[in-house]
Amino acid sequence: MASTLILLVIGLPWIGALLVWWIGDKRSALQHALAIAFSVASGAAAVVLIFNASASTVISLDAGGVFGQFTFVADGLGVYLAAIATVIGSLAVIFSVNYMHGEKGLGRYYAMVLFFIGGMAGLVLTSNLLLMFLFWEITALCSYALIAFNNDDPKAVAGGIKALIITQLGGIGLLAGALILYSQTGSYDFNQMIANPGLINPQLLAGMAFGCLIAAAAKSAQFPFFTWLPDAMEAPTPISALIHAATMVNAGVYLLARFFPAFEAVPGWKTSVIIVGMVSAFISAIMALFAYDLKRVLAYSTISQLGYMVFAIGCGGIYASQFHLFSHSIFKALLFLSAGAIIHSVGTRDMREMGGLGKKMPFTRVVFIIGALALAGIPILNGFWSKELVLEAGLTNGPVWAYIIMLITAGLTAFYTFRMVWMVFFGKPSEKHVHDAQPAMKVALAPLALGAVVAWLLAGPFASMLQSTLPAHKIHALSTIEIMMEVIKAPATYIALAVVALGLVAWWQRKNLTGIGKAFHWLGYAANNSFGFEAVNKFIVRETQAVAEELRDTQTGLLNWNIAGLLIGLIAVIIILVMGG
Amino acid sequence: MTAYTALIWLLAIPLGSAPIIYLAGRITEKLSPKTGSAPSRWLSVLALAGTFVPLYFAITHFISEGAINLSVNLISLKFDGISMLVAVTALVLGLCVTFFSTKYMQGDEGEEKFFALLPIMIGSIIGLVCATDLFNLWIWFEVMAISSYILVAFYRDQPDAIEAGVKYLVQSAAGSALILLGIALVFAQTGQLNLEQIRLGVVNSEPSPLLLAASVLMLIGFGVKAALVPLHTWLPDAHSQAPSGISAMLSGIVIESGLVALLRTSGALIYSNVTWGYLIMGFGALNLFVGNLMALRQTQVKRLLAYSSVSQVGYILVGIGVSIYSLQPTGAAGGFFHVITHALMKGLAFLAAGALLYALRMSHENHDPLLVSDLDGASKRYPLTAFALSLALLALGGLPPLAGFMSKWQIFVAGFEANAGITIGLVIFAALNSVLSLAYYTPMINRMYRHEPSEQVKAGAAISWKMALPLIVLIIMIVALGLWPALVRWLVNPAAYSLLSIFTSALVR
Repeated sequence: MASTLILLVIGLPWIGALLVWWIGDKRSALQHALAIAFSVASGAAAVVLIFNASASTVISLDAGGVFGQFTFVADGLGVYLAAIATVIGSLAVIFSVNYMHGEKGLGRYYAMVLFFIGGMAGLVLTSNLLLMFLFWEITALCSYALIAFNNDDPKAVAGGIKALIITQLGGIGLLAGALILYSQTGSYDFNQMIANPGLINPQLLAGMAFGCLIAAAAKSAQFPFFTWLPDAMEAPTPISALIHAATMVNAGVYLLARFFPAFEAVPGWKTSVIIVGMVSAFISAIMALFAYDLKRVLAYSTISQLGYMVFAIGCGGIYASQFHLFSHSIFKALLFLSAGAIIHSVGTRDMREMGGLGKKMPFTRVVFIIGALALAGIPILNGFWSKELVLEAGLTNGPVWAYIIMLITAGLTAFYTFRMVWMVFFGKPSEKHVHDAQPAMKVALAPLALGAVVAWLLAGPFASMLQSTLPAHKIHALSTIEIMMEVIKAPATYIALAVVALGLVAWWQRKNLTGIGKAFHWLGYAANNSFGFEAVNKFIVRETQAVAEELRDTQTGLLNWNIAGLLIGLIAVIIILVMGG
Repeated sequence: MTAYTALIWLLAIPLGSAPIIYLAGRITEKLSPKTGSAPSRWLSVLALAGTFVPLYFAITHFISEGAINLSVNLISLKFDGISMLVAVTALVLGLCVTFFSTKYMQGDEGEEKFFALLPIMIGSIIGLVCATDLFNLWIWFEVMAISSYILVAFYRDQPDAIEAGVKYLVQSAAGSALILLGIALVFAQTGQLNLEQIRLGVVNSEPSPLLLAASVLMLIGFGVKAALVPLHTWLPDAHSQAPSGISAMLSGIVIESGLVALLRTSGALIYSNVTWGYLIMGFGALNLFVGNLMALRQTQVKRLLAYSSVSQVGYILVGIGVSIYSLQPTGAAGGFFHVITHALMKGLAFLAAGALLYALRMSHENHDPLLVSDLDGASKRYPLTAFALSLALLALGGLPPLAGFMSKWQIFVAGFEANAGITIGLVIFAALNSVLSLAYYTPMINRMYRHEPSEQVKAGAAISWKMALPLIVLIIMIVALGLWPALVRWLVNPAAYSLLSIFTSALVR
């Protein structure tokens, strides 16, 4: 049963991708219909799969030799992330019916979206590290192809290539991890290694742990690799919602959570994870304060929220991080898709040109504000519960300085969220002629808004599923009521709420605080330049290109020099052999 | 069919059909100007397809009973794992290229020579990888080289093509002179030409300066053909000026055959596998680095692909070097797997680029090179060709689920299995180079998928099914190997063991 479901979850979108591509762009109505049918079917299979979760390997194919056994496991961590990928995937596809209406190259768009959905499900359902790397790269490939979907726009192309290269660069860490696992244990199956990390020589285990941290930081757009995510906002908005908010960027968090029991004891690893999460959360919240591009604000907030999840893992709060991931996927997909409805209608992403849209877009305003409240961590929305759990994990198991920074970040989150809502929906009305979200968009937005309000009720069952299928992670499951009581009783909750309230007050009183704003003028300058990380990227690209250009001098085109190269090679080899024996 | 007859027919069909193909083309051209030299095209396809029959028998014999040894007096041929892998790759790629060229070369002056020379080149490659005595090896090597000079300089009224051909000729001839000198030294020292006999002599003797010098001379001599940096300078010109089918052959199999000759001879001569492992790995690193950086700033499609070949040879060298260094089969298996996948990927890339070159340039009697900027919006008019080129580039960049990912993976595994700081470092370096290579592969893909076609694309001619069919075949193979690498395990593993047997037997002391 579970094996069939896994094949359906991964296979249906891939078959759909081939079909949509095959029937061609002339029959666009059929393309929309097929894309919806296959993604929804896959989503349904993934939801059924949740009820078949178990810790045992359900598919195993012998690929032979150094390729190992291609194995798939439907454990708690895998099935819920597969469900998120496919369900939010199908909502993004439904949203696209309106958003992408009349676009050229629809076949390529849907084929890549469906290919991505299957690849993402495969990434979380496999227990073979080679396959995980393979799916990891497939999602990167789809992300690149979709960011650069509008190939005529040089910014989109540059953003796509940047995303691909940075995530691939980090991916080398995962590659090294997989190769270490294989060379040490003779198998790519990571479950036996997670249960017994002593299988691997401690030095190599440390290499693997930090390799995975690098890969995770690149994939989840964390410090110091985060610069690709804001530029990825050139993608069509449903793609930003699906790939760059709700699913692919979670892969890094998933990787860290998955391997936590194995890497926990590696010296310095947990502290490094905490620092990566904390720095990402904090600096991206500051960047969100100063950005004017609606999608970039959301992108920075994604980096920041992913930072919370990474921080929670560093503090040992696996459940908290996964619960926050679950909440974030829902409310951030909601925010991005409603932002898509706004951008589709207004025709710009600049918040300064919006203003006062609330009256003209009542539906969008309601759902966007629900998402924003969840992001800010206002009770009783899903973001509130999960963020409180993360902060509690930080207070009980993490260093105090990190906890304080995360608290400040919670206040900043509330501040920039309200700034964003105000600039888009309230304030001075813009002159633009706009319309509310279209029907298919509403179909996609409504369930997400509902999810942001009630999804936290699943906290208890979610915890018990993780506990029963992930023995090595030692998750202590409580019922939903117990979790709620814990949050309500914890002093950390009230500290956090107070800080959030402070953030709100600061926004409300912003006119009286202009003095402070001016004092922080330099901060805005630094934030708008991504604290120098963008300059580092540009420097590396420029220098590589310069070296490549210099090297062209070696190809003289003169035969004499060609033969001289031959002689140089001859002499060099003789010297090496004479010296080396 | 006995094993010996199979091996003889394997060489005789491609070589023997060449004069018939040439004559048939000449005669029909004289008799009927309307038919032209059309029969030579299809005879060539037929000859290569027919060569699969003896190949099949040779393979079944190899699988059931092991290597085929054929000796005629002093000439000895051996069909082992390496021969099998290269022969299969050369024939599959050769058949695709010949079929593609039936349209690409149609109506060109001297077409019948082209179609006669291609089987000679393929036959000599098979001979080269079967030869196990130095004299014979050198003869096959020269036959392969001479047939390829003529094919590179095929457009004899194009000054650039002539220049590329001359550079290739002179540089290879310099290499050949070194090889010949090396052979002379070996003969002077051992009195033997048979590689196995030489190896036995080496095993029982103290290190000799003459043999050391001979091994270096052969490394450099064959290294010219295998495009080791800094001996690679002929390659960008030759690959970009040759007819596209020949670019595919040169890049896909000719340079790899040079590498096989290098390995066979050095396996017989060396005293230390560790030093040679370092040397081969060192050249691998150099090839990766120089090939990638040179490709980064190219504006001509075929020249860019040529530099990418330099870096792809680097991966093969890394795999084989790790294997020689550690005497474990995984690296060699990965390296040989990459020989197969590179032949398919680069074959597809050059053929797809060739199809576009044909449609955008040559159909207008224009011999200017195809520029990267000409590709703008190519997918609008040539969806299949643009897709084929994109797929080939992504596969070369090592993205899954395509063949290049799997062969690189196997090479990388070998580096970690050897478990030495240098091999692990080399793997990380190779992986970084893979990422770097995306910086020049991906912009081409993005250009092809623009909505606004370039002027050249708008004015381009249609692409015939004869060019499209080989592309489809190659696409299917690349995706199949990317999803299920075990499909070629029967080819890859015997080749790796054959290579190790060459290198280990030299070290049994």
